[in-house]
Amino acid sequence: MTTNTAGGTTALPVPLLAASVSPRPQRPLKTAQGRSGLLMTSPFLILFALFFVAPLIYSVILSLRSPLTNAYTGLLNYRTVFAEGQYWSGVIRMAYFGAIQVSVMIGLAILIALFLDGPYCRGRRFFALVYFMPFAVPGVIAAIMWGFLLTPDLDSALKVPHYLGLANGAVTPLDYRLSLYAIMLIVTWEFTGYNMTLLLTSLTNVPHQVLEAAKVDGCSEFAIAARIKLPLIRRTVIFTIILSIIGSLQLFTEPVILNDIATIGNSFTPNQIIYNTAFSFGNEQLAAAQSVVLAAITILATVVFYGLVRRKMDPFAAGRGVVR
Amino acid sequence: MSAVTFSRTRSKAPAYLGSGSRLARRMKTTAGTAALIVAAVYVIAPIYWLIVASSKNIAQLFSTATFLPPTHLSWVSNLKSLFTYEGGDFSWWFLNSVIYATCTAALATSVSTLAGYGLAKYHFGARRTVFGLVVGSLMVPATALVVPLFLLEHDVHLTNTYQGVILPLMVYPFGVYFMSIFAADAVPDTLIDSCRIDGASELHAFWKVGRPILMPGMVTLFLLSFIGTWNNYFLPLVLLGSENRFPLSVGLSAWSSDLMLAGAGQPLYPEVILGSLISVLPMLILFPFLQKYVARGLTLGAIAGE
Repeated sequence: MTTNTAGGTTALPVPLLAASVSPRPQRPLKTAQGRSGLLMTSPFLILFALFFVAPLIYSVILSLRSPLTNAYTGLLNYRTVFAEGQYWSGVIRMAYFGAIQVSVMIGLAILIALFLDGPYCRGRRFFALVYFMPFAVPGVIAAIMWGFLLTPDLDSALKVPHYLGLANGAVTPLDYRLSLYAIMLIVTWEFTGYNMTLLLTSLTNVPHQVLEAAKVDGCSEFAIAARIKLPLIRRTVIFTIILSIIGSLQLFTEPVILNDIATIGNSFTPNQIIYNTAFSFGNEQLAAAQSVVLAAITILATVVFYGLVRRKMDPFAAGRGVVR
Repeated sequence: MSAVTFSRTRSKAPAYLGSGSRLARRMKTTAGTAALIVAAVYVIAPIYWLIVASSKNIAQLFSTATFLPPTHLSWVSNLKSLFTYEGGDFSWWFLNSVIYATCTAALATSVSTLAGYGLAKYHFGARRTVFGLVVGSLMVPATALVVPLFLLEHDVHLTNTYQGVILPLMVYPFGVYFMSIFAADAVPDTLIDSCRIDGASELHAFWKVGRPILMPGMVTLFLLSFIGTWNNYFLPLVLLGSENRFPLSVGLSAWSSDLMLAGAGQPLYPEVILGSLISVLPMLILFPFLQKYVARGLTLGAIAGE
């Protein structure tokens, strides 16, 4: 089977298409050469089939089996999942978490990136490096560091409000009322710089001519940032938001470690619940159903979000001929 | 192609970008820089604390000022106890992390580079399907894979082995995606053609022409995969049961889960803190040199993923 290169990849995102297909029409390649291409891809394909596709399919099969007899039970496990209050309160908690944390984080990342890219900034390289550093810190270590720093016995700074008469006793960010916000603080620490780096590099790709034209037209620096730069990097903004939404729904490491340090509960997030169902209770069938539902929620959230922002894409989109 | 134009740093803003009076400009610069410094303190504070706290013994941790070094440094005794506790488990974890991260990064980079090059330079039948798979897989959350992966690996006795962790992490769809974009742009078809005229096989042409040109991209992929594996927690936690196979992340979390247990002996606070420092220090020291490679990979992914 030979595929026409021009018509063959239309389903893919346009930049990928543009990058992967040579600009000029290629003469049909010999089958032997096509076979070499397949040969080169095959190690990846084999691993992908074994360690990605197979577990995914197995997950679905497992979710349709009975936890007691391992016989086919249809959608019984899914009915259990949908009736499981703890699971759904975990999902809702993560939705709440994501709504606040992602907005704050991406907002900060945008502000910092725009400022670092603007004319009022000193030490751009230094700050860009410092903010990106948490990317090299494992989530486990980030959670341990912050967990200790948020424990009054280990961090005398948390007693300062008490000495100043602002609080009754030390501030305890890891108690049950505040722990969700403590995790937001940690996750924001971990990933703001990462997102900022993506945005900053996008900004350096904004053509000089556009900025120059705006300047000539008398645009203020603020207007340039808000009306020109931000719309031009909106696709990267959307990309970072989608990655962050996926990340929020998958939250696992930070609550697990904090629960070791301060007992915040072991069913805080859907992922923790899935882990416990499978490995503490040995109910792999129900865990499979829970993870299939979580995957569906994740994809649904991504698609819904993308649908919402796509409709509101600014007028530039039409003019640039980018069709999605 | 614009997708592969990497970060061009505008070190100095052009003169025409200035607006307002000099005083206003100066005030904006000062206020902005102050805000940047506050943000930098938020980022650096925990890392600084980790360094300071790692020099304290358990009594000092609970009695001295949080962000100030103690009068008497306990690094030596902390190091000794870190590396000897329970027969020196920590040294194993460090070694294991090095093994997992190095093998995964090297193998994932090789597999992805070959696949990405194949996809970019050859137009075979399954090509379109493969691209669809790669892009689609970026959307599947890891949770849906890890539990069944454990069960499947358990059946073939891969759990609790090095290869059991390395093999799934070698599947790196982003790497294939990244490399196909990189190769399409960087490797000229004419060079491959001239190799063919010389009678070289396609694989030989890849080795002679493709590989050297793709080297910078491979460095980026290696680093991304290395950092990703070093930082991974969920997958090794599920797949590994015995302590002598743990990477640092899982080992340290096992220690930190003992902190609150009553009757578990002296809590391991100094060991957990120093162990955490040791597991981030190599990467943090190298980071200023590696930053541009890492950022490039992420950015190409983001721009192409738009």
